[in-house]
Amino acid sequence: MRELTFTAAAREALAEEMAQNPAIFVVGQGIGKRGGNFNTTTGLYELYGQERLADVPISERGFVGMCAGAAMTGTRPVVDFMFLDFILDGFGELVNQVAKMQYMSSGRLKMPLLLRGCIGVGGASATHHSGNYYPIFAHLPGFRVALPTNPYDAKGLLKTALRTDDPVLFLEHKSLLNTKGPVPEEEYTIPFGQAAVVRQGTAVTVVAFALMVRKTLEACEQLEKEGISVELIDPRTVAPLDVDTILESVRKTGRLLVVDETFGPCGMGSEVAAQIMEKGFDELDAPVRRVYGAHTPIPYSAPLEQAAVPQVPQIAQAIRDLVAE
Amino acid sequence: MAVEIVLPRLGWTMEEGTLVEWLKQDGDPVKPGEIIFTVESDKALNEIESFDEGVLRIPADSPPPGTTVPVGTLLAYILAPGEAMPTGRTTTAVATTAAAPTAAAAVAVSSRRSGPPISPRARRLAKQLGVDWSQLKGSGLSGRIAERDIQAAARAPRVSPVARRLAQEAGVDLSTLAAQKPGARLSRQDVEAALAAPPAARESAPLSSLRRIIAQRMGQSSRETASVTLFTEADATELVALRQRFKEALGPRQQWVPTYNDLFLKLTALSLAEHPALNASWGEGAIQMHRQIDLGVAVDTEAGLVVPVLRQVDRLSLQDLAEQSAALAENARTRRLKPDQLQGATFTVTNLGMYNIDAFTPIIDLPQCAILGLGRIALRPAVHQGQVVPRHQVVLSLSFDHRVVDGGPAARFLDTVRQYTEQPHLWLGR
Repeated sequence: MRELTFTAAAREALAEEMAQNPAIFVVGQGIGKRGGNFNTTTGLYELYGQERLADVPISERGFVGMCAGAAMTGTRPVVDFMFLDFILDGFGELVNQVAKMQYMSSGRLKMPLLLRGCIGVGGASATHHSGNYYPIFAHLPGFRVALPTNPYDAKGLLKTALRTDDPVLFLEHKSLLNTKGPVPEEEYTIPFGQAAVVRQGTAVTVVAFALMVRKTLEACEQLEKEGISVELIDPRTVAPLDVDTILESVRKTGRLLVVDETFGPCGMGSEVAAQIMEKGFDELDAPVRRVYGAHTPIPYSAPLEQAAVPQVPQIAQAIRDLVAE
Repeated sequence: MAVEIVLPRLGWTMEEGTLVEWLKQDGDPVKPGEIIFTVESDKALNEIESFDEGVLRIPADSPPPGTTVPVGTLLAYILAPGEAMPTGRTTTAVATTAAAPTAAAAVAVSSRRSGPPISPRARRLAKQLGVDWSQLKGSGLSGRIAERDIQAAARAPRVSPVARRLAQEAGVDLSTLAAQKPGARLSRQDVEAALAAPPAARESAPLSSLRRIIAQRMGQSSRETASVTLFTEADATELVALRQRFKEALGPRQQWVPTYNDLFLKLTALSLAEHPALNASWGEGAIQMHRQIDLGVAVDTEAGLVVPVLRQVDRLSLQDLAEQSAALAENARTRRLKPDQLQGATFTVTNLGMYNIDAFTPIIDLPQCAILGLGRIALRPAVHQGQVVPRHQVVLSLSFDHRVVDGGPAARFLDTVRQYTEQPHLWLGR
């Protein structure tokens, strides 16, 4: 099968959907002629011009509100935030209008709005360009939140995102953008709320998000040599969250570790732990453990930045401890 | 608020107990930690301490000292000063615990949990399998009982403490009794019945101390090791020819002729020198790699199996080896071995070839990590240089402890032994 980078796979999904659906247009900064800060729209301006690849002034609240109106009136806007951190400047529109509009209109209005941006810690991007923030959106009713971890999932999830009537956050970890992987030429989509069992195992279940899936896989390879069999689950979307797949795995292993790059309090680890405790208390043979990032603004210094988020040895040790518990 | 004092459960199986004596009287002030009364259970006399502060009030209908009552029977209240005694039973949690260390199980106190910490999954399994986990020790890092502990407990026979002690004293094998009553908890009566039963159509031989040691060591090895046995067949034709030449050359000069066993000891020691991973022991939290190669040599004696040790076999000349091993075997048979001649082997060689055994699965002598079994050397049809011809063949059986060493290194070691058996010139000069 051909291999594409994560970015190319996601761009292909956008290009294919734009070709099929004239109601799709992209709004952002540098997404026109320049092709996007992260090459999200490279080559599309030449095809569709500035009407469908609209560079707009930097005013997040303004263009998020404008796109919300456009979505309600039958188009399908894609807001490209570059760094997801800037979504926070449009937060009021998002929480009060975008997330609630379908509810407030008893479903008469749709909100097919795609919000995309890079997330994650890496590359000394400093604290305004290192946000993850997906637990915030998973907390709020009305949003769907996709966290692809490989090129195949990036394309399949973005296609699903561009066909749903709900507002979707499509979040790309910046350390994953240049990773390569097989992507079939044929048409496919990946449904939301369906986790992937990345690796099968028997001793412990690990749920990891975004870049942490790759880091945990590395840890698994070390641990395999030590005879520790790890089952690794990539939820792929955090809203909806596929708790059934996690629960099924915990039924087998009795032990659960959640690895997340972002902050611990009220995070995905807390959520997964609570849901498994509620639905599968009797399946647990040890307390649920979490590995997560430091509760701090992300430092600019590269060594400090790396120290602020989980690394492979730390993940491996947490798994060893949990298996011994 | 009134706190009820009830007869506590002092062991998982305790259903009733005897209120022996009040150490505080009606109206006395009590503090947390003070002993308020004593209870006799089937195991011991237990002092029960208060968990609360207040005034002890013993109602008129409380059982008098000396009576045996069911667990949970209301005995008294601890009240705030001036508080009236309740007329009916309240629902306050039991507020007493045993102070004496003889009461192994903690009594339910204001916490809902009793007994050692246990995972929900283990608790569910224990319920399904009917395992009493109150006396189990958890294997988890924090001492929590996990599923694996319940599984292990379910495999072990359930025995009352009295029965266990009695069985130990009288030398009754509990696993035999358990096999006769599968699933049942073995009680004192079971052990007594086993002791009283006439020896039915069998003779019981008293256990010699050697037999006891063998039983203990073999049982321990079979329980604790992750034993794997590898077999390989070696062409011993050249080894047989070599021994024949030794016999012809040394015999007439009244010198020690190396036995096949001696030849195998020597080539095993040299193979170990090349594969030190097999010359190792399972120790406290670490694997001990031995610098010296000291081989245990299994000797069958009338009294039982004895394994004297030959030191630094890789460095011994064949002559010295033959002489020392003959002396050790003779001393073993006449029971004249000194304790230090029986200790500290780093690897064992056992030979059943003289009894026409081809291959077997030797049991590892802990803490060593492996043992080599030698089968008989027999003429068998074999393919040699493209022809089926009679050749002297021998099967080598290597049991190793997979906790200490993996299959790869063990197989490579055994293959070296095979090669040295087939081509003695590779090592003869060393």
